[in-house]
Amino acid sequence: MNVQHEVLRVIDEVLSLGGRSATFTRDTPLLGAIPELDSMAVVTLITTIEEQFGVMVADDEIDGDTFATAGALIDFVSGKLAA
Amino acid sequence: MTDPAHQQALFIPADGPAGSQRFCVYHPPVGHAAGTVVYVHPFAEEMNKSRRMAALQSRALAAKGYAVLQIDLHGCGDSSGEFADATWATWLADVATAARWLRARHAAPLWLWGLRAGCLVAAEAAPLLDEPCHFLFWQPPAAGKTLLQQFLRLKMAAEMLDGKAAGVTDALRAQLAAGQAVEIAGYSLGPSLAQGLEQAQLRPPAAATQSIWLETSTRTDAALLPATQSAIAAWRKAGHDIHAAAVTGPNFWQTQEIEDAPALLAATLQSLGQALVPA
Repeated sequence: MNVQHEVLRVIDEVLSLGGRSATFTRDTPLLGAIPELDSMAVVTLITTIEEQFGVMVADDEIDGDTFATAGALIDFVSGKLAA
Repeated sequence: MTDPAHQQALFIPADGPAGSQRFCVYHPPVGHAAGTVVYVHPFAEEMNKSRRMAALQSRALAAKGYAVLQIDLHGCGDSSGEFADATWATWLADVATAARWLRARHAAPLWLWGLRAGCLVAAEAAPLLDEPCHFLFWQPPAAGKTLLQQFLRLKMAAEMLDGKAAGVTDALRAQLAAGQAVEIAGYSLGPSLAQGLEQAQLRPPAAATQSIWLETSTRTDAALLPATQSAIAAWRKAGHDIHAAAVTGPNFWQTQEIEDAPALLAATLQSLGQALVPA
């Protein structure tokens, strides 16, 4: 599985970006930069990641930094998959 | 497709304080009723986001000869009561009320159609009915516990965006355990409803049923979630006849923009058509 590709796909779907995430790089800022990423979308992202990657995310595992950039989120998911 | 003007909005009386009622939308069947369907909506904001898909499917079902009753559960939508006053028990009773209303008008087999948490409400309401029923599950959850956690997370996420997420969920759970309602994303969640949701599971009912389990997946190689496959295996082992499939489409109950899942509409009609039980 290409984690970067899958994570960007999940971001695109959850935020209804219509394919915009295809232009994202690891450095693309997320939280605070994408208006669609509000608290409800954050929760949906976490839940979708759990469901699609088959991982469990504890509340104390994440903070604002996890969603700072696309790269930060990709690394978080990669870390969970490797655990 | 049925003319939307054909549907009827109405209030059905419900148990509770004087004036208790539930807002419903009735979609009369075209021709003789092939089946009756009670639609049980999902939890909180998911109900609002999925309204369009529910309406599209209800009308499509009516056009194919199904009598469909959409009911706003206690404290939801335009039904009486505050969300904070709703309990799992009143929600189960609402499903029974809806089933009785349809039964008074049509003799055809009964289907309980749930979306997300609505599947849990439907599954737990089935034993309370005066008659057998079949299930149409859209995106059935692994367990209510997962849904409650997702809902509580909304508060944590809101706090997180403000930089103070630690311990938020624990504090919410403590509040509920102490018998207090909690405020999350504009909803006041009461302890009884929270507990009912948390304990809810998709247990196979004692009486064997025919069921249709459908999920949408954004993956091009759409497949059922692993948790769903386990649940289906348990139901089949208990003697239930299940048709399950995943179709490609958006998770329309949670997307930022209102989205349609036409493949789900088609799969639902096709599955029901194949499952038709002789009346």
